[in-house]
Amino acid sequence: MDGRTILILCEKPDAAARLAKALNEAGKVRERKLKGVPYYEASRDGNKLIVISALGHLYTIAPKIEDRDVYPVFDFYWAPRYEVERNSGQTRKWIEAISRLSKDAQEYVLATDYDIEGATIGYTVLKYACGGKDTEAKRMKFSTLTADELRKSYEKMLPHIEFSTAEAGMCRHLVDAIYGINLSRAMTTAAKRWSGKYTTISTGRVQGPTLKFLVEREKEINTFVPTPYWTVKALIEIGGSTYEAEYEKKSIGILEEANSIVHACAGKIGTITKIDVRKTRQNPPTPFDLSSLQTEAYGLFRYTPRRTSNIAERLYLEALISYPRTSSQKLPPAIGYRGILEALSRQPAYKDLTSDLLERGDLVPNEGPKRDPAHPAIYPTGNLPERTLSDPERRLWDLIVRRFMAVFGEPAVRQSVKVAIEIDGHRFYLRGRQILKEGWMRFYKPYVRFEDVLLPQLEEGDEVRVKRVIREDKFTKPPPRYNPSSLLKKMEKEGIGTKATRADIIETLYSRGYISGESIAVSYLGFDVVEILDGYCPQIISVEFTRDLEEKMEMIQSGSEKMERVVGKAVEYLKPVLEELKNREREIGKALSESIRKARMEERTVGQCPVCGTGKLVILRSRRTKKRFIGCTNFFEGICKTSFPLPQKGSLKPLRKDCKLCGWPLIQVRSRGRRPWNLCFNPECPSKERSKRS
Amino acid sequence: MKCEICGRRAESRFCELHKRAQENLREKYEEWKRAMDITWEEYLREVLKNPLTGLWVKEVARILLASSEEKEAPSMQEKV
Repeated sequence: MDGRTILILCEKPDAAARLAKALNEAGKVRERKLKGVPYYEASRDGNKLIVISALGHLYTIAPKIEDRDVYPVFDFYWAPRYEVERNSGQTRKWIEAISRLSKDAQEYVLATDYDIEGATIGYTVLKYACGGKDTEAKRMKFSTLTADELRKSYEKMLPHIEFSTAEAGMCRHLVDAIYGINLSRAMTTAAKRWSGKYTTISTGRVQGPTLKFLVEREKEINTFVPTPYWTVKALIEIGGSTYEAEYEKKSIGILEEANSIVHACAGKIGTITKIDVRKTRQNPPTPFDLSSLQTEAYGLFRYTPRRTSNIAERLYLEALISYPRTSSQKLPPAIGYRGILEALSRQPAYKDLTSDLLERGDLVPNEGPKRDPAHPAIYPTGNLPERTLSDPERRLWDLIVRRFMAVFGEPAVRQSVKVAIEIDGHRFYLRGRQILKEGWMRFYKPYVRFEDVLLPQLEEGDEVRVKRVIREDKFTKPPPRYNPSSLLKKMEKEGIGTKATRADIIETLYSRGYISGESIAVSYLGFDVVEILDGYCPQIISVEFTRDLEEKMEMIQSGSEKMERVVGKAVEYLKPVLEELKNREREIGKALSESIRKARMEERTVGQCPVCGTGKLVILRSRRTKKRFIGCTNFFEGICKTSFPLPQKGSLKPLRKDCKLCGWPLIQVRSRGRRPWNLCFNPECPSKERSKRS
Repeated sequence: MKCEICGRRAESRFCELHKRAQENLREKYEEWKRAMDITWEEYLREVLKNPLTGLWVKEVARILLASSEEKEAPSMQEKV
């Protein structure tokens, strides 16, 4: 071949394979390996294309001083990941392979994801692994991995990579490292110097404020005192059926008043005084951006934001959906609505729905207000799966397809009926609701949460029999705990983190042991980390500070701010904080060590001792036999000798749930190669009887 | 000084967190009194057995119930 050799760099191996296949013109794509790293050889326009992928980030920001006891550190550099991170050994092969292949190339094309992380990955690889080819490289921009779009993107390549986006990305990595490494080292070192034991205590620029949201909510919940109130309902008999009518006041704050309403209305005849019928139009939903997809998937399937993000990434890499890390709620006509719908009609489940939309003259999506300069909202490409999708993948794809169809639907029309019933001078309301016209709901049906409540034919002046009047005792409720989805929404609302990082930050809070459970509870350790930061350097966990930095970093991307200035300001801000932390290292170390001790104890605590009622049952290990067992903390006081044997293999975790049969606390046992199982250690539990019989 | 309940640093009997719980407990008693005929001690028992009550409030209520001077606090003993 006389043409030139062009090196195309993708972000993930699957994308490289798809890109090579889409661009290849003559013969078959050759899959080759260098040092075990796959790459693809294709040809186009007489040129030889070498398509290789990175493996996510191949380079990372690292401090020049490696000693973890030393802080503050402000000198950082971009290092190959294998040099500074554990378990990143395979990035060495990748860097070496890219470096070797780049030497034979005359042209360079960056085809990583078109966003801040993609630009950063591409820039660092081109600069460090390819020997400064960042200035020569051209850029492919695409939002789907369909063959058609990849070819178009190759034909209309941008003349250079997006330097300002890469600068913004590098700035984010640098600022996050400066904050994360220094603050984490300060806290970890303080605890280690006090207790002599090493435990990683991490915090960061976004992690700290996020944990603070949770701590504030935890405080509200833990200091909450419920107050009583009452509701009154009348059971009304109409045409042999019974309907529930609510008292006009939704909550009654005085018990006597509630009782007097019940006495006055019981056994009386009610008169219908007014029937109010209202029709409301409900517009179609807006297209999915990443965060609304994560919220919907959590609400419908209970997938965590990170899980949704991972599944969506797989669907994108299989060219089934467009790029998911987008904050856009716009669907530009250029994506070709009709083409996508026609392609989707090949799937039997969507045939009728798509033909319904295709029969219309004009297709106009109901777009939301959010924009993203790099990508449109998430939409199906029209490609059908080439393999059998797993259940979660199939569900998410179906959700995205149906949402795409729904945004083109007509408004739904709902009717609500409110019937006023007068009973002995008291007013009650009977409410009904119904969908009159399905509109967009027809397309989004399995995921629409709406239930019709039908009322019989009634007229004003009709008399109805009051069958019973019921008083219900109620209490005000504490604010709900955050779950991964609502926490992600809160972060988005407060403007901290990015669509690409929020889900990972939440996972980090779990993995550090700061939070637990789907309905998120904060541990002692999480609590104390925030208390300490709040006490000694409140500015570090202030939302305003974090948001301000986010805005500055966005300004770098748009070219109105410089990385050096943003980093300089961040360092200036952090220096006195670190000095203060160092000066008060002893007291911080003492507080953190105490909190770590409590956290360890909390991890081992199974629940209240059901025998003595005052002690706590904890997982212990016998000094003599080295076997583990459950014992009561009151044993050390000489009050309670309760103990129970435990399985000696596998890991044990208190479940914080009680056995349904005997009410004793449960433990989860996990061993390799077996499903986790729940153990009730009460020897008298009826479950033991059942297993003996079987 | 240490908090009687959790051992955290405290300026009086309770740490900041348990103090806030205690303040809420006292404040809400007024609403309970208005809502139903209830004494301070009955109120504490009700709050203790209510699953919606916050953990720190329960810890404070348990201590207040156990300490006789709190039970006999004249302003709290009266019924509505």
